[in-house]
Order: sequence, then C-alpha cells, then structure tokens
Amino acid sequence: MPTDQQIYDKICELLKPYNVKNKPILRTSGIMSDLEVDSTAVFDLIMELEDFFDISIPMEVISDVKTVGELVLAIQELLNQ
Amino acid sequence: MSGTGGADVSAKPGLSIFSKYEPLRERASVLNKLGIDPFNMTFDDIMGPTRGRIGNREIILAGTNNYLGLTYDAGARAAAKDAIDRHGTGTTGSRIANGSYVEHARLERDLAEHLRKPSCIVFTTGYVTNLAAMTGLAGPDDVIFIDADAHACIIDGTRLAGTTTVRFRHNDPKDLDKRLGRQKFADGGHALVVIEGLYSMFGDIAPIDEFAEVCERHGAYLYVDEAHSYGVFGEGGRGIAEDQGVLDKIDFYSGTFSKSLASVGGFCASNHPEFELLRKVMRPYMFTASAAPANICAAQAALEAIKSRPELRRNITDRAAQLHSGLADMEFDLCAPASPVIAVRRPNEAQAAMEWNWLLQEGVYVNLAVPPGTPQSSSLLRISVSAAHTEEDVRAILAKFRALKDNSAELMNEMMRRMQASE
Repeated sequence: MPTDQQIYDKICELLKPYNVKNKPILRTSGIMSDLEVDSTAVFDLIMELEDFFDISIPMEVISDVKTVGELVLAIQELLNQ
Repeated sequence: MSGTGGADVSAKPGLSIFSKYEPLRERASVLNKLGIDPFNMTFDDIMGPTRGRIGNREIILAGTNNYLGLTYDAGARAAAKDAIDRHGTGTTGSRIANGSYVEHARLERDLAEHLRKPSCIVFTTGYVTNLAAMTGLAGPDDVIFIDADAHACIIDGTRLAGTTTVRFRHNDPKDLDKRLGRQKFADGGHALVVIEGLYSMFGDIAPIDEFAEVCERHGAYLYVDEAHSYGVFGEGGRGIAEDQGVLDKIDFYSGTFSKSLASVGGFCASNHPEFELLRKVMRPYMFTASAAPANICAAQAALEAIKSRPELRRNITDRAAQLHSGLADMEFDLCAPASPVIAVRRPNEAQAAMEWNWLLQEGVYVNLAVPPGTPQSSSLLRISVSAAHTEEDVRAILAKFRALKDNSAELMNEMMRRMQASE
C-alpha cells in the first residue's frame, strides 16, 4: 500500500506537464484555481492516476476534490476500501 | 434605472449573483469582437434543409444535424399539419397526468418494431431521454460506466441518478474491460455501460461490437445513444449497432427526433419488457409536458421515410465522402474518418471564431465548437452533412474552405485588428 507521501509525490510528478506556469505544487494548491489545470486536463490526470494505482476514481469523488491534498486523501481512501 | 425616483431596483448588496460568470463574460466578449456571436445568432429565414438567409445573403446550411433532410419532406409536413388540425397545438401536460395520444403509442410501437425490441418509450426531447432513462435504470447500488467523451446529457443523467459513475477512455473497450474487472459491486448492484454510436463533436464511430462483447463477459447492461447515427447507418437505418451486426446485444437503445427524424423529441427502446415499468419512476418523463402531436406525427412520417428510402443513406454517405476527401486533399486537420459529422481542428478558439465568421459572411454556416464542449480541448469548425446536400453544394462548401486557407494570413491580420480596435 503506497504511503501518503508516495501518493503525493506521484500526483506532483503527473501534474508537472499540466502545470504550464510551473507554479509550486503544494498540498493546499487548488488544482484548477491555483495551478490553472483545465477541466479536460484534470480528467486526463485522473486517468493516469487510476492506471498507476489500479483504482477507479468515481466522477462524484473528482467533483468534490479541489486541492492536491484532497486528491491525496481521496486516493488513499479508495486504496483502503 | 427604474421609474421609482431614480433608484436602481436591480442593485443588491455585495457581489452580483452573476459575478461568478465574469470569466465567461470576458471570454464571450473576445468572440463578440470578432463578429457575430456564434452561440446566439439568428437566421432571418430558413428556407429548406440546406438553405437559410441572413439579410439578403443566402446561406448554405452545413451545421444543422438535419442528416436526412426530412424537415421539409412533404409527408412529414403534411402529417404535422394534419396533427395540429385534429389534435391542436400542444398537449398541455405530461403523459402521466393528461394521458397519451394514440399517436404517442403508435410511434412507440413502430420504433420498437423497427429496432426489433419489445419495448420503446418516447420522450419530449433527446436530452430528456437520456436523463430520464439513466435515472430510471441506475439505483444506489449500481455503477454507471461512461465514455470519456460522453455528451452532456449523459453526464447530467449520471448526476441526476446520483449513482457512482466511472469514466473509461474514449472508444476503448479494453479500458472498460479493466475498469469493470476491478470494480467492487454492492450486493445486487449492476454495471450500466453508456456509449454513443457516432460521437457528435469529432464524428468518430464507436466499436459497439467490441463493447458488447466486453459487457456480455462482465454481465453488464449496454446502453447506446444513437442520436447522430439512427437513420443514417445500417442497411435498414437502425444505426451503427445494426451496421456492426450487434443490434440484438444492445440492452437500451436511445435516439432523438431532432436529427434524422426531423422533429423534436426522443426515444429509448429496450430488449427488456420490464423497461415499461420505468414510466412510473422516471421523473423527467413524468413531470414534463409530453411531445406535441405535430412533433410526434412528423417523426412518424420520417420513420416511414427511413424504412422506405434507403437512397437517403446512400446520398449522405456519398456527400460525406466527397466533403471529407476534399478537405483532406487541402490538408485540413480532420478529427476522424469520413462520416456525416466532419470536424476540422483549428489552432485556437480565436482563430476558429474568426474563420467561422468569415465562412458565414461568405455564405456557409458550420458550427463553431470550443472547450469544454469538445474533446481534447479542441477548437473546431464542425460540419454536418445532409442527404439533401447536392454535389454542387459540397463543391461550394469546399471552395469556401479553399479560399479560407488561401486567405489565412489576411484573415489573421484582420483578427488582430479587430481585437486591438476594441481594446
């Protein structure tokens, strides 16, 4: 089971190509609001995370996630199920 | 200003309720600087399935989804007029509250028969069809799997259903297979897989046969929206499912009247006779006015044309091939192989909007399609071909696209000038 830090690191790694303004990626960073990742790119990112962690992140979960930290928690919760 | 002593009655304390749309207002204002608002334009007249008019200018319509051109079919028009004379102009309520007209029932029976399914329900629009069916079918223990490029009505259907929803990669049965395999279901929970036959933005076709095989293996129900393909594909006009030989594998088959069926409304047919029960649970069916008699009777007449006039399908296939190959020869970036929907990818939204305005000015109406309504954040000039287009019409459309390409430098200069002039 990956640790909280490993999940965070993986998100940061996969976020890089979408973070076109190269802003610092913090747990408190809003994925769309701060990092300016558009909605289409968010779904691409989610699919990459799903493949890596071998989980499905339902759409209703995605719509509740605003920050990088919330995404870490959502993935952790799905992995624990 | 109001007439109450000069006070502005529209003023409210704090930020306006519309302030959240400020980014949208700014984006729309850029489009408006370039010419006509592509999302709020009016034709002065529509004269036929392929001709409209703005001022004194005749426009070739190449973006109306009027695939078979039947909106002006003599039979469909006569049926609609006769329905108004016999039943009036509106139904004034839902089928649950006011009852059904015999024409609603006849159309349901004939669509079911055409699709070789035991059940069919007619709805007020195509959008409402998917909304209603999905809310009726998916319960709290079920999981809906949707294609990544699903139409808004499918996404909205999942939201209204309130059910766990998982996206799979566009047109990728293997990705669906993987997701179905790893999904844990509650006791009594089922998988409902929702795809489209022809995707409306890029015009690409789903491998329904492969999806059907995956669904069969996992015991999942397959729901196919053939809004853009019913009447156009298949020997008998039964869509891509018929074309790929898997019509009988489709548990739920939805479509719209507002394309090949030349009217307004929608339908969902099913392999399962129990589908009829959903009339008593689907809120978007129960609590909206039923389709007007004229709309139902026009769709009935168009259905007869779909069954009896295969030449319409030959015409649209030929015209789509002609237009697609002409644009490909000019090296336009096309999003998919030839189909009645041909999407030309442009470098960005502003350029696409400028070109859309130029084409309209030159007498060709296509659709401007921009994110987030498009896959891959694409900006598109989207063309929909009609069986009513002639070879000459397609040549005229191609000539304008050729001129667009030849004049691209001047057009971009003009775009910059308009943007700067309004700053």
